[in-house]
Amino acid sequence: MVEILKIEGLNKSFGDLTVLDGIDLSVNKGETIVVIGASGSGKSTMLRCVNFMEIPSGGRITLNGSAIGTASNGSVTYSEKELTGLRARVGMVFQHFNLFPHMTVKQNVMEGPKTVLKCSAVECSRRADKYLEKVGLGWKADSFPSQLSGGQQQRVAIARALAMEPEIMLFDEATSALDPELVGEVLLTMKELADEGMTMLIVTHELGFAYTVADRVLFLANGKILEQGDPESVLINPQQDATKNFLRGHGSFRLPEPNLD
Amino acid sequence: MEHAWDFSAVFTNSYLLLIGLKNTIILAVVCLVLGLFFGLFVGAARYSTRIVFNWPATAFVEVFRNTPVLVQIMWFFFAFPIISPFDIDAFTAATLGLTLNTIAFSSEIYRAGIQSIHRGQWEAAKALGMNYTNQMRRIILPQAIRRMIPAFMNRAVELVKMTSLASVIAYGELMYQAKTISTIEFNPIEMYTSVALIFFVLIFPLTLFVQRLEIKSKGRG
Repeated sequence: MVEILKIEGLNKSFGDLTVLDGIDLSVNKGETIVVIGASGSGKSTMLRCVNFMEIPSGGRITLNGSAIGTASNGSVTYSEKELTGLRARVGMVFQHFNLFPHMTVKQNVMEGPKTVLKCSAVECSRRADKYLEKVGLGWKADSFPSQLSGGQQQRVAIARALAMEPEIMLFDEATSALDPELVGEVLLTMKELADEGMTMLIVTHELGFAYTVADRVLFLANGKILEQGDPESVLINPQQDATKNFLRGHGSFRLPEPNLD
Repeated sequence: MEHAWDFSAVFTNSYLLLIGLKNTIILAVVCLVLGLFFGLFVGAARYSTRIVFNWPATAFVEVFRNTPVLVQIMWFFFAFPIISPFDIDAFTAATLGLTLNTIAFSSEIYRAGIQSIHRGQWEAAKALGMNYTNQMRRIILPQAIRRMIPAFMNRAVELVKMTSLASVIAYGELMYQAKTISTIEFNPIEMYTSVALIFFVLIFPLTLFVQRLEIKSKGRG
């Protein structure tokens, strides 16, 4: 097993507020990890520390064997150049898609390879076609983001991240901003990626998705990993009271199996 | 009261009006170019979180936004020469007043334009691995400038109109020429009517252009 990502003793505080309090996590190649927890538990911040959208207050992050930052006297410093280089190796998908509205769908997907990786025009175009096809939106290549549905925009955002051919993909509540009927197409795209062996770290409220797709589920509370394990043990047979309460809140109202034939 | 309209004196003095028109355009263009150029730096300083940049820029902007341009022009012509070591002619005083005013306003347009771009755009660009320069150049400015252009055009229209204030310190722009001719020819009605028409012909196309741009920029985010 190849370890892609290692997080050791990760801390993050904003002023007096401690958001992450000693997170340790090791992610193997091809693994799909779903992070759940109440809002304010630190799950988004944890994700954002992995690609240094937030600079950790303490701890160490190692990507594919190389530790990020320079440690001296117990603290770690990061150069801007190292961080931009790291971000190019980590794909991120946001809650609000954040597509570039002044570019077509294809230009959005080509932007990273073109500006950051300095790929040739032919290579940029090839990657854009390939990954737009993968998310099923090759036919929208020349549209502008404003002409797409939310679900389609999010799939383009996934293609844009994939075009960098990242070593790991981060999903920060990728379906939370979508209308309920559009959530499925995005989750399906994510499941396909997981099935193809992409390493993924996913923050979501879609517990059914977590149960079906995750190799491992983490439950975060107060900036700590309170409980982790396979979906069965965390989501069906939780041990901690906080996890039980969280799941109780989510399961207050539930449909019996709808008859859809 | 009956007035017999007679524009003949306007035409016989048309070369004086042309000089005035030329001076109006020179003053407006000089102030616009200088104002937009320095406005970018003041805007950047206003956008900065560092007090050494932010404070002086904010003070500058507030002073020039909250005092009348006419007062600024008069001040630079009548008051400033007393404390300054060099002479100040009407053109310099008018240029100072109008340029500093344009800097103050355009800096706000730059700042607001960049600020109006959603934080998510910065984040998406950053997450792809872009450095600050590329984030600004490829993602933020192309969107921000599209939003700024109508505001800058509006500013240009305002500026052309404000040049007429320079007449009070005897700078030979359109308004001053008209005043001079009308006192010689005793024809203020025809003279000022003509000046209004000339300004209208000069500015109306600009206004139409701004409206076109505003409609266009609404079409796409």
